[in-house]
Amino acid sequence: MVSHEDVIQIARLAKLSVSEEELDGLTKEMQSIIDFADAINNAPVDGEEFDNINNLSNAFREDTVVPSYPTEKILENASDSAEDCFLVKKRSL
Amino acid sequence: MVYTLLKKGLITVAEVKSKIKAVNEMLKNKEITCTELTQQYLKSIEDTNASLNAYVNVTGETALETAKAVDDKISRGEEISLLAGVPMTLKDNISTDGIETTCCSKILQGYKPIYNATVWNILKNKDAVLLGKTNMDEFAMGSSCETSVFGGAKNPHNINHVAGGSSGGVASAVGGNIAVYGLGSDTGGSIRQPASFCGIVGLKPTYGSVSRYGLIAYASSFDQIGPITTTVEDTAIVYDAISEYDVMDSTSQGNRGVKTCDTLKKDIKGMKIGIAKEYLEGIRDDVREAVLNACKVYESLGAEIVHFELSALKYALPVYYILACAEASSNLGRYDGIRYGYKTPVYKDVNDMVCRTRSEGFGSEVKRRIMLGTYVLSAGYYDAYYKKAQNLRGTIVREFKNAFEKADVILAPTVPMTAFEVGKAVSDPIETYLTDICTVPMNIAGLPAVSVPCGFNAKGMPIGMQLIGNTFDEATVLNAAWQFENATHDTMFRSAEMGVRL
Amino acid sequence: MKYELVSGLETHVELSTNTKIFCSCTTAFGGEPNTHCCPVCIGLPGTLPKLNREVVKYAIRAGLATNCEISRISKMDRKNYCYPDLPKAYQISQYDMPLCKNGYIELSNGRKIRINRIHIEEDAGKLIHQRGDTYVDYNRGGVPLIEIVTEPDIRSIDEAKEYVEKLQLIMRYIGVSDCKMQEGSMRCDVNISVRPKGSSEFGTRTEIKNMNSITFMTKAMEYEFERQVDLIESGGEVVQETLRYDDVTNTTSSMRGKEDANDYRYFRDPDLVTISVTDSEVEELEKTIPELPGEKFERYVEELGIPENDAALLVKYRKVAEFFEKASQGTANPRTAANFIIGQIFRTIENESAKEEFNISVSAEDLRELILMLDSKKIRMNLAKATLDKMLGTGKKVSELISEKDMGGLDEAAARKLCQEAVEKNPNAVADYKNGKEKAIKAMVGYVMKNSRGKADAVAAENIIKELIK
Repeated sequence: MVSHEDVIQIARLAKLSVSEEELDGLTKEMQSIIDFADAINNAPVDGEEFDNINNLSNAFREDTVVPSYPTEKILENASDSAEDCFLVKKRSL
Repeated sequence: MVYTLLKKGLITVAEVKSKIKAVNEMLKNKEITCTELTQQYLKSIEDTNASLNAYVNVTGETALETAKAVDDKISRGEEISLLAGVPMTLKDNISTDGIETTCCSKILQGYKPIYNATVWNILKNKDAVLLGKTNMDEFAMGSSCETSVFGGAKNPHNINHVAGGSSGGVASAVGGNIAVYGLGSDTGGSIRQPASFCGIVGLKPTYGSVSRYGLIAYASSFDQIGPITTTVEDTAIVYDAISEYDVMDSTSQGNRGVKTCDTLKKDIKGMKIGIAKEYLEGIRDDVREAVLNACKVYESLGAEIVHFELSALKYALPVYYILACAEASSNLGRYDGIRYGYKTPVYKDVNDMVCRTRSEGFGSEVKRRIMLGTYVLSAGYYDAYYKKAQNLRGTIVREFKNAFEKADVILAPTVPMTAFEVGKAVSDPIETYLTDICTVPMNIAGLPAVSVPCGFNAKGMPIGMQLIGNTFDEATVLNAAWQFENATHDTMFRSAEMGVRL
Repeated sequence: MKYELVSGLETHVELSTNTKIFCSCTTAFGGEPNTHCCPVCIGLPGTLPKLNREVVKYAIRAGLATNCEISRISKMDRKNYCYPDLPKAYQISQYDMPLCKNGYIELSNGRKIRINRIHIEEDAGKLIHQRGDTYVDYNRGGVPLIEIVTEPDIRSIDEAKEYVEKLQLIMRYIGVSDCKMQEGSMRCDVNISVRPKGSSEFGTRTEIKNMNSITFMTKAMEYEFERQVDLIESGGEVVQETLRYDDVTNTTSSMRGKEDANDYRYFRDPDLVTISVTDSEVEELEKTIPELPGEKFERYVEELGIPENDAALLVKYRKVAEFFEKASQGTANPRTAANFIIGQIFRTIENESAKEEFNISVSAEDLRELILMLDSKKIRMNLAKATLDKMLGTGKKVSELISEKDMGGLDEAAARKLCQEAVEKNPNAVADYKNGKEKAIKAMVGYVMKNSRGKADAVAAENIIKELIK
């Protein structure tokens, strides 16, 4: 059973805010999705580990420096920046 | 042969199937300039986009610049590539340098990438004319395009129906003839399902054949970019162009040197076409009938129909949702308001800023999937859900591998139904997930699958079927698709009565 | 009751590859904020990581140098947590299949500190807090790290210190990192618990994060050991928690907040593929591992006859050891070169990091030439010393400072002549000596040495002078 506490904990990990009013609805919804996922509970498990889709290995890059991007470009999409850094103000007001 | 730009009327160029080739010849023969052609498309977008809502961002200026460059090349007598000057579109989750790329989410509002996705680099280098970015379900999570922050794209066959999702905008634009072709992405059916709903062709290539670099990730081990076109040959042309090995993507392998166009029109006598029992269960009668009818067409073309079971398919849907959501929960963690995109205006500290930004910036379906993904990865649940599903993924992969020892391609419906009416996309998330039942297995197994039109329901809405191939066997899949299209084109393909007619 | 310290270390070492672990930006230290960045470094949507081949090689070499098994198959995982210095909200690391495992480092007391694992991962960016605002610089984000995790085998602060120093030295010898703690290219997390001496059970442990100097690490461990003992003795219980050390107040305090009940939700990174290493690749890398400091030390002491203290000083800096080996090559006694280095040369070098760099104006070949002259008795020790000082001061070569005529001793007649001169020119010294100030003779010997350009035999000169003024 998915509890309110579970939902609060999951939201905390996922960095989402959940209000008191949303909690009931969200818990029910999570429960129904988990019930749906539970369909795999009884599936037989074979020992083989799934690796990656095409069983690839060793995709490497050579250790050669390529020039970095200009700082203005790097910061271009930031909501706030100062002194060539991304900036997060302590609080909004 | 003479081509004319018709304003309206049913398409009547059955003998010329490739729109891309048609445009290429028109340009090379100087029947029309690229600028005129592009203007024509931009004008059509202006006329029809209000009703289709296919485009979320029209890039007319850059389109005309490219068109001009193509015209200059032609007038200088330079050789142009097959895709040069062909007006096209990209789903709004494919990164375009300097052009807003939002995944149709509030959280990426205003975000302009500072680099190009590899696929766009390839096409740009071939002088493709980008008309604009097209609508999609937010972060590609949805089956109706209606989770888009811009509202859903409409079906060109009937604008009271959805275009499907998540690449609904591309399908709507291509089906509505306001782009010659487009690139979508397919994580659980997002290319094939809207292609099927809009009565056109859409290919989800083999995982790893098309670079994902620059595709904004939903679920990394499932996502794959592919073409949506009106004809199989166009799909083959575009797939051949974009399936290059890319050093930037560790999972990239390219097309292993196979050009699907080379064998597209090959005879399919003796080809073994597989039908899995599970694929004909739980789908609507009209859809099943259309698929069984397709079997008859194939038999008449000399193919052999073989029957088998794919018993692990019953776990495909939960396996897909567990794994895709797990990956999504991690992939979408980066939207925190600091480096790009939306940031909440009011907060009390950094953590509060991040939580508010995400809660305000993501829509409810995205949040639901992030929550599920977080849950199945969290301590105490990992083994029962994530690990188990990963194991079952292996089982499904092996089951398909065995199936391809019996058949060259597998034939299946694309969607168990036809396009839903606008706003009627079931509100229960689970019911919505069920519409992906036919498409997700290919993403789980990384297999190529193309959706082609195979009929219409009583209301005239298109029905699609998928041809599924072994990994990196796009050539066989498209060969089978082309033969079907060639045999049935007059009855199965009906162009929507709008947009630019070539 | 007597208490025993039980400690394990997790050490992060930044690898000195040219480029970052997953993109082609430089790893150079410093630089203006956000100048060593690309779309991958700042986690722009759609970007993908591509593993740097050298990172794998460096990590395997680190494993080989610390007696680890090298995993033939390993993979990369995502460690999910949200913090502004982590642009993707996950760190790409290795969870259950690290590249290296089951190694050890042996301490001078013969105890082996077992290494549980070495894995590769990416570094985070840097946060600068000013007036409560947070400035983020991602230059360091994506710099390759190895994390070396020991078993809780450390039993004293001295052992911890020696382990870190040894590890640092080994990493420097194999050239995978400069291990500069002050620049953050090496940092330690210390797990500590205490238990009554003789007990075989483990107490509850705390973890002190991010120690960036050995001095602070030992101070923090001392403080934390005392704190835990006091707590237990006063009837309290140690709480398992993550601590931060404050070097100003010399105390540890809880880091609640960031680490509070974290659940990292590790899973295989679907953007990266399996890392597979063959036996022959491991063998090839094994060949690149130089003689390590421990082995060098033993060889210096046992084969070259260098006193232990001197040998320890020589192996402490890779470049010094290399210099020593070149300079002593083919000389009569390696101790001569050792003495020149530890005596004269070290006196001209100010601090540890300069010794590390060992940028001196004398080449090993030059020193060797000088020692060979000494060995063949062409010059005497005092001339050799004087010449080395000049070489260190001016950067001139031996051949520029010592000419043919300087070589060989002074003949008896010439020596007598110089001694006579010395007596004549230093009447005061002669008077002093006659008045019983034995030392006054040194001034006259000095005169002889100076004017013979060091060629005179000081003992013989003293005897001659004594004879002359008797």
